[in-house]
Amino acid sequence: MSKESVRPVTILIAALGGEGGGVLMNWIVEAAHLARFPVQATSVPGVAQRTGATTYYIELMPGKADGNIPVMSLSPVQGEIDVMVSTELAEASRALAGGFISSDRTALIASTHRHYMNLEKMAMGEGRLSGDEVRAALEKSARSSVLFDAAELALENGVHVNAIMLGTIARTGLLGIDREHFIGAIGRSGKSVDANLKGFELGLTISDESELDLVDKKSVFLSGPDAVEDAVRRLEKYQNAKYAQKYRDRLAPFQAGDPVVAEAVARHLAIRMTYDDIIRVAQAKIGAGRLDRIRGEAGAQPGEPLYVTDFFKPGVQEVADLLPPRLARACLNWAAKKDRMHRVSWPLYIRTTTVFGFLKIWALAKLRWWRPRSFRWTFEQEEIDLWLAAIRQMGTLDVGAAREIAELSGLIKGYGATHARGMHSYNKILTALIDPVLTGEAPPRPRLAAQILEARLAALADPDGAALDACLEAD
Amino acid sequence: MSERSFAGEIEKLRLGEGETFSGEGILAITKALLQSGVSYVGGYQGAPISHLLDVMVQAKDLMGELGVHVEANTNEASAAAMLGASISYRVRGAVTWKSIVGTNVASDALSNLASAGVIGGALVIVGEDYGEGASVIQERTLAFALKSSMWMIDPRPNLASMVDLVEKGFELSEASSTPVMMGLRIRACHLMGSFETKKNRMGTLNTKDKAPEPAGFNYARLSHPPATFVQEAKKIDQRLPAAVQYIVDHGLNETFPGPVDTVGIIMQGGLYNTVLRRLTALGLADDFGNSQIPLHILNVTHPLVPKEITEFCQSKMAVLVIEEGSPEFIEQQINTILRRADIQTKVFGKDVLANAGEYTAEIVMSGLVDFFGESEPVGIMLEDVRDRAARLLNSSQSASAHLAAPPPPRPPGFCTGCPERPVFSAIKLLKQELGDFHIATDIGCHALATFEPFSMGNSILGYGMSLASAAAVASFQEKRPIAIMGDGGFWHNGMQTGVLSQLFNHGDAVLIIMQNGYASATGQQYLPPATTPDGVGGGGTQAGEIEAALRALHVKWIRTVRTYGVNTMRDTLREAMTTDKPGLKVIIADGECMLARQRRLRRVNAERLNTGGRVVAPRFGIDAEICTGDHACIRLSGCPSLTVIDNPDPLKRDPVASIDSSCVGCGLCGENAHVASLCPSFYGVERVQNAKLVERLTDRVRRRVIGWFADADQPA
Repeated sequence: MSKESVRPVTILIAALGGEGGGVLMNWIVEAAHLARFPVQATSVPGVAQRTGATTYYIELMPGKADGNIPVMSLSPVQGEIDVMVSTELAEASRALAGGFISSDRTALIASTHRHYMNLEKMAMGEGRLSGDEVRAALEKSARSSVLFDAAELALENGVHVNAIMLGTIARTGLLGIDREHFIGAIGRSGKSVDANLKGFELGLTISDESELDLVDKKSVFLSGPDAVEDAVRRLEKYQNAKYAQKYRDRLAPFQAGDPVVAEAVARHLAIRMTYDDIIRVAQAKIGAGRLDRIRGEAGAQPGEPLYVTDFFKPGVQEVADLLPPRLARACLNWAAKKDRMHRVSWPLYIRTTTVFGFLKIWALAKLRWWRPRSFRWTFEQEEIDLWLAAIRQMGTLDVGAAREIAELSGLIKGYGATHARGMHSYNKILTALIDPVLTGEAPPRPRLAAQILEARLAALADPDGAALDACLEAD
Repeated sequence: MSERSFAGEIEKLRLGEGETFSGEGILAITKALLQSGVSYVGGYQGAPISHLLDVMVQAKDLMGELGVHVEANTNEASAAAMLGASISYRVRGAVTWKSIVGTNVASDALSNLASAGVIGGALVIVGEDYGEGASVIQERTLAFALKSSMWMIDPRPNLASMVDLVEKGFELSEASSTPVMMGLRIRACHLMGSFETKKNRMGTLNTKDKAPEPAGFNYARLSHPPATFVQEAKKIDQRLPAAVQYIVDHGLNETFPGPVDTVGIIMQGGLYNTVLRRLTALGLADDFGNSQIPLHILNVTHPLVPKEITEFCQSKMAVLVIEEGSPEFIEQQINTILRRADIQTKVFGKDVLANAGEYTAEIVMSGLVDFFGESEPVGIMLEDVRDRAARLLNSSQSASAHLAAPPPPRPPGFCTGCPERPVFSAIKLLKQELGDFHIATDIGCHALATFEPFSMGNSILGYGMSLASAAAVASFQEKRPIAIMGDGGFWHNGMQTGVLSQLFNHGDAVLIIMQNGYASATGQQYLPPATTPDGVGGGGTQAGEIEAALRALHVKWIRTVRTYGVNTMRDTLREAMTTDKPGLKVIIADGECMLARQRRLRRVNAERLNTGGRVVAPRFGIDAEICTGDHACIRLSGCPSLTVIDNPDPLKRDPVASIDSSCVGCGLCGENAHVASLCPSFYGVERVQNAKLVERLTDRVRRRVIGWFADADQPA
C-alpha cells in the first residue's frame, strides 16, 4: 500500500488574471514532461482572467513511475500543498486563509509586492491592508518561506515575474526536476525566450537566505524642531516669510502643552495654512522638475517630443474663492439662488508643454500676492482660528478630546466637492459632539474622545455621509 | 480572430496512430471528435469550452481536408438544432456549449431531437460550469438528460478516459438511436495531460463526399403528433434497453474490487480522482488507484445499469453514493433498483455529504469518515482514519489562524482602458443627479459592474435577457429602468426577447447596448452578422450594424455615443431617462474592446517603429502633490492602472492616487476629472517616437523657453 515517500508533489500557484500564472504552470508541466515525470495540471481561469484572483494547480510524480500511472487530484487540498507560489502578497494571504499553507509541509515562495484591490483603493483615506501583518503571518505559517519583491526585481531587469518565480521554484529542488529541463521548457514555449531565461536565472539566485529587507520608506512627521522648520519652509514657498511667522505664532501656545496635541496641531496647521486653491495647483504645475519626472514616467528618450495636457475644471466655488470677499459672497449667492453652483464650470485643457499653455499656468501661480485679499483666505483663517480655539479650550477639560479635535482637521482636504464634503462632515461632528461641551450646554462625557474618533472614521466610510449620520444618531 | 491563437494546438490535432498528444482537456476532446469521424461540429462559446470552438474555427485547413463542416452558431439553440442532421442521415455530429445556461437555451431543440431520435451519432459536449470558478447559476445538466431521455456521460477526469468515452459516446448514440451528452467539469476542461492518439477519420458523408439525394420522407422521424406518442414509448421500451446493453457490453462503467468488501463506493466518474485521493490520504488506497474499498465508477450517469448496481451491492452491508448536486437523482435510482431486487444493502449519500455545491476534497473526506463511522466495516482501523483526517484539518487550520482576517475578495474587473467602464462612470454620476434607479443587468463583461467600485444592478436573468427582465418593473416605477446588454447578448437573443417585445408592447424602457465588437468575456470571438467574408465565425461586426437592425425594427429613439465621452454619455442617458417621448430608447455605447485594440495596435506600432514611422504613445499621470487622497477618481473608475501609493508629502497620511505603467491612455481619468469636477491632478501625456525634425526642434525650443520660467522652488 501507499508509502508517503512516493506521493505526488503538489504545487499551487496563486496569481491575478493576466499576470502569466498560466504560462508559469505550462513551463512546469513542460519541464516535467522533459524529465519524463507523470504530471497533471488544472486551473479555473474563467472570467477571473480579467484581473481577478485565480489559481493554477499542478501535481507531478518525481522519478519515473515505472509505467504505473498515478491518479492525480484536479484540485488543491487543504494541508496537502508542497510548494505554494504567489505572485502577490495578498494572494499569498488568501492561500493561507484557504488552508493551503501548512507548517508541516508547505514551502512558500511569494512576491511581497502589492496589487491593491478596489476595496482597498476606493476608501476615502487609508484603506490598504497592512503588508507587515500579512508577511509576519506567512512567515510563521509555512515550513519554509521565500518572500521577496519579484515585481521590483522584474521591473529593474526588464523581465517577467513568472520567469523569476520559476527560477526560485527550481532552486528549492522540491520538484526533483533538473534545471536544464526548466530551461528547456522556457525554450520550447518559443516566446520572449531570452528575457524569460534571464528572469529564470535571477530567480535561481533567490532563497530564504537572501538579503531581502523591507524598509518602511514612509517618512513620519515628528513635531521636533526639524519638522516645524520643514513646515515653515513649506509656508514660505506657499506664501511668504510673514505667513510662516504666523504659523510659528499660532503653534507656540501648544508647544508647552500636551506633546501629542502639539504634534497633531503642528502637522494639521501646516496643511490647513497651505490649503488647496487654484494658485497652489498652478505653483505645483510649473515646478522645475515636473516635466523631467513626467518624461521619466513615460519612458521618453532625451530627443523625443512629449506633450502634456493638464485637466482643469474650475467651478463657481473655485473662482469665488479667489475674489474679494464681498464680491465672492455676491457671486455665491447668485449661484445658489439660480441653482448654478454645480452647473457652471469651465473645463480647460491646457497644453503645458507649449510656451503659451505653460505661461497661462505660470501667470496663475504668480497671483500668490493676491491670495490674502481673497475670500477663501479670509474663510480659512477664520476657520483655523476657531479650530485652534476649540483645541485650546478642550485641552483644559479633556486632553484626549483635544487631541481628537486636532486630528479631526484631517477630514478637510482638497478642492470643490471633496473640500465641501470634508468641511460638512467636520462641522457636523463639531456641532453634534464638541460645541455642546465647549459652551457648557452638555457636561464633559467620559467617552468624548472615542466618540470623536468614531465619528471621524465614520465620515470616511462613505461619500454620502450615511455612516456618519448613523454614528452621530447612535450617540 | 479570438483572443488566443491555437496555431500550435492545431498541429496536435493532426497527430496520427500511436502518437502522444499533450495538452488541454478540451483540445483532447476536439482531437477525439476528429478520431471519431465527425461530419459536422458547432457550438456557442462560453467558459469552460470556448477553446473547443475557437480551435475548430481556426483550424479551417484541417477541417477542410477532413470534410468537417464547422459552424460558429449564434446561440445554443442554433447549435442543438444543427444536430437534427443526425436524425435522418448516418452522420456523426457534435456541438458544444457552457452548461447549465447553454442547455437551457438549447432545450427546445434538444427535446425535439431526443424525441425523434438519431441514426447518426449525436454528441453534446457540455462544459459543466459548476463549483469553484463557475460564473453562472449552479444547476446540473443531468436533470436535462433525465427529462429528455438523453444519455449522460460523466467521464473519469483523465485525458485517455475522456477521449475514449467520446468515441464510445458516438457508438452509444448510434446503438440506442439517442443523442448523448458528455459533461465535463471546469477543471477537466482545463486539465493538462496526455493520451495516445489515433488516426483522424472522415465522416461517411462530408463536405467532400456529398449525398446525391436527401433522405426520403418519413413521418416517424418528425417530432410531431402522433409520431411523438410512439417516440415517447420507444425511449423507454427500445432505446433505453439498447443503451444499457451497449454500456454493459463495452464496459463503460468500471468496477474496482478491494479487500474491505463489506462496503463499497459508487460515484460519478468525474469525481473519481477526488475520491481516490481522499482514500489515499486516509490510508485506504495507494497513488496508483489500488483501493482497499471496492469502487464502482459511473462514467455513464444516465441510464444506470440495474444489473451492475445490484451485483456491486449484493454482498455489501453498505454503499456510499457520491453524487454532486440536489436532488440526488442517482442515489434515489439506486435505492429503487435495490428495493426492486430486494437487496438490503444500506445506501448512504446525502446523509453524510453536502446537499449543495462542488464536492471538494474536504467535503468528500468528511463524508468518507462519517460513512465509515456509520457502517463500521471490518478491515478498517476507524481510529487511524479519523486521526489522519483530523491531522490534515489541523495543519491547515493552525496555519491560517496566524492571519487576523482573510483578505477581502478580489473579483474580476474591467480591464485597463475598457470601453465599458466609462458607461458605468456616467451612470454613477447620473445617479448623483436623479437619485437611484432600477438597473437590469445581463451576462457579459459589463456584469463586472456589479462589483466595486460600481456595485450596480438589480437583476441578472440570463444572456440577452436584461431588457425583457425590466418589462414589468417599468410599470410600477416612477423612474424608467435602465437595461444593459452587450452586443454579444443582443445578437444571442436580446433583439427578440428584449427589443421586439418592448416594441410590441409599447414599452418605455432605456436600453444601453455595449458595442465593443466581440464576445469579449469568452475570449473575443467575432459576432454576427458577418459582413466580411473571412471564413467561419465572421470577420468582425462593422460599427452601425446594431443601429441598422434597430432601425429596421422601427426603434425611433437611437443614439450612438462613443463611450469615453463620459459627459455626452451622461447627458444622453439623462435625456433618455427624462424625455417625454414615449417608446424604447436605445443608447449604443460604442468602443472597441481594449484588449483586442491593444493587441492590434501593438502589432501596427511595432511595424511602424521599425519602418521609421511616427508613433504616439498616450498615457495618463497624476501630480501626487495636488492629489487630495480622497480617491473619488477611483470610486468612479476602478481601472487596474489607477492605483494608490504612499503619500510623498511627509505631512499627509492618506495614500495618493497614482497611474502605473500599464495605462493605455484611454482618457477616462481626464474625462471623469472634468465631468465629476475632481481635483486637477490628472494630466494626459503623449510621447512621440520617430518624430520628424521640425517637431523635434519645436519641442526643444519649447522646453528651453519653459525652462526659463519654471519655478525651481517647487518640488518635482
